[in-house]
Amino acid sequence: MMIMNKKLSKEEFFKKREEIRSHWPTGADERLEFEKAVALLKSVPDSKNFAKKLRFAKEHDLTMIQPRAGVALVDQHIELMQFLEKHGKADFLPSTIDSYTRQNRYSHAEDAIKQSLKQKRSMLNGFPAVNHGIDGCHKVFENVNVPLQARHGTPDARLLSEIIHASGWTSNEGGGISYNIPYAKNISLEDTIRYWQYCDRLVGLYAEEGIELNREPFGPLTGTLVPPSISHTIAIIEAILAAEQGVKNITVGYGQCGNITQDVAALQTLDSLTNYYLKIFGYDDVFVTTVMHQWMGGFPSDEAEAMSLISLGATVATLGNATKIITKSPHESQGIPTKEANAEGLRASKLMTRMLKTQRYPSDDVLKAEKEMIEKEVKTLLYATLNIGKGDFAQGVIQAFKHGILDIPFAPSEMNHGKILPARDLRGNIRILEFGNLPFDDEIKRFHKDALEARGKAEGRPVSFKMTIDDIYAVSQGILVGNSEYKEPSL
Amino acid sequence: MYTVVIGVIGADVHAVGNKIIDHVLKEHGFNVVNIGVLSSQEDFINAAIETDAKAILVSSLYGHGELDCKYMKENMVEAGLSHVKLYVGGNIVVGKQDFTEVEERFKKMGFDRVYPPGTNIEHAVGDIKEDLADA
Ligand code: B12
Repeated sequence: MMIMNKKLSKEEFFKKREEIRSHWPTGADERLEFEKAVALLKSVPDSKNFAKKLRFAKEHDLTMIQPRAGVALVDQHIELMQFLEKHGKADFLPSTIDSYTRQNRYSHAEDAIKQSLKQKRSMLNGFPAVNHGIDGCHKVFENVNVPLQARHGTPDARLLSEIIHASGWTSNEGGGISYNIPYAKNISLEDTIRYWQYCDRLVGLYAEEGIELNREPFGPLTGTLVPPSISHTIAIIEAILAAEQGVKNITVGYGQCGNITQDVAALQTLDSLTNYYLKIFGYDDVFVTTVMHQWMGGFPSDEAEAMSLISLGATVATLGNATKIITKSPHESQGIPTKEANAEGLRASKLMTRMLKTQRYPSDDVLKAEKEMIEKEVKTLLYATLNIGKGDFAQGVIQAFKHGILDIPFAPSEMNHGKILPARDLRGNIRILEFGNLPFDDEIKRFHKDALEARGKAEGRPVSFKMTIDDIYAVSQGILVGNSEYKEPSL
Repeated sequence: MYTVVIGVIGADVHAVGNKIIDHVLKEHGFNVVNIGVLSSQEDFINAAIETDAKAILVSSLYGHGELDCKYMKENMVEAGLSHVKLYVGGNIVVGKQDFTEVEERFKKMGFDRVYPPGTNIEHAVGDIKEDLADA
């Protein structure tokens, strides 16, 4: 059957559910029976409910913080979570899932759990929630005081989603596009949209029982020079797909670009456009919040420099009124951080959100122009997607990626055209150098071209792929706009 | 013109460095066979056999490098590729670890050269050319 943006029926859902529970032995746990899971979720106090805490944050105009973190074994994972709560002052906790689980390689994860026990260090880059099952996941839930979310990158997260929600975790990150194109090589969008409709429908079914859970499309995509209009369009489409399945509490995301004005413009439009288009397409009762991810590209290796970049991220997120920040650590360029380093990134971020609590970025003509351009581009991409899908967003996404109407820079997926190239302008705004098949009109294209030509002129070199490469390395080298031919003037 | 196989091993999807390595090695005149992300040991070995490659450059960014690279050298020898140079780079272990120890572990596993996080590929090109000229 052709996939459409249409709510799955209960019969379809529960039929599929039987099969999914058989994918790994932990799926047979009787606490996964729907009524039992409902009872457990109803007992979760508001202070540990992700959706409710986000409402609280937005009502009180707060910017909250959340790290990424996860290790192989349950007890060590709990120790890590407790540490980040206590010493990092995390408002929300994650459980970052390991990469074998993300690719549904549960037997690989099982081996790695054994290895980790033997070697007494985590051999996995995250928490293998499916292997630990409800036993392990619920134990984690019971041992923390703030809401928990699964953060991953899993194209097929159906069993994972079942297990985490039935363990009391009240948010799930991901989506059919954002957990495919940056995270897979040759899984079709048709499949991943179907898988994520299932995860969203699960949340929708809980909503019908009076349980509010949060869903968060993954905003930053490849984290590498992604123009805001592209990530916004995908976030909005994933919000629409989730809303159709009955999700009522959605956090849309964005990865910090580096130019402060562009970042604030992006955060403000992410909120306004998501609300606007959800209503336009008939989803009136969705509560929307935003999350900004601190710099998602290559980090400087010097820890002081890394911390400075982390603080800049917290600054723009707060000035731009994001509801939540995903923080980084000073170990980012090297490897999974120690719990101490992770907590340092959190505390540095928390300080900024507190100091800047009552300050907002002032509106001026530059900000306005930036916002207008994002709005115009998003509108173009969104309607081009809808049109090629003959009025259906699920079909639209599949066709749009096939024809390069939607295109994500540096993505590993073969479903992606990979024809567009971004580069920064003189002020560090992310612009588009090669448009591939993006359906932009001449005015938009001219705007990007002019900006990049101005950079070329100032740097005395032609506009080319060389700029893109320089920009990919730039931040890790402590600058924003890269120029490998540039010699620092000396006195 | 030397043929080299590049790719990202295991369940790893970090694609940016791989695309840049591809670009830079081509610029330096290598014949690059890029098997991309999510590649298994067998993918690397088969590609090297099919293209008669002189070296394999394994990237691992996501931390499972130690698990994914286990017995790779032995498997290459078994496949008749003992003459092919084997390199690894990226963020090859979980967490920030002392690199001299990490390098030693991977050398024991049969890797000819081991590169620390954030190595600019331009800097490795010289090593590769030198090794292949000797071979
Ligand atoms: C961008 C990024 C992402 C993007 C990747 C998008 C994509 N599909 O490509 C997204 C957001 C999707 C992502 C996801 C994840 N990531 Co990531 N990611 C990064 C980040 C920030 C930058 C990587 C990058 O693109 N750098 C730019 C390129 C140009 O540099 P490079 O990759 O290092 O490659 C260069 C050199 O290393 C060298 N090189 C590489 N290979 C080789 C091989 C040889 C032989 C030689 C000579 C040289 C060489 O040459 C390259 C070109 O110059 C790094 C941290 C950092 N560096 O700051 C983390 C990082 C690599 N990610 C990490 C992790 C763990 C993950 C996740 C598992 C999520 C998680 N648990 O947090 C998932 C991976 C899912 C999966 N299945 O793989 C960890 C790895 C931890 C570890 N080893 O201990 C890092 C180090 C962050 C951290 N500190 O936790 N990530």
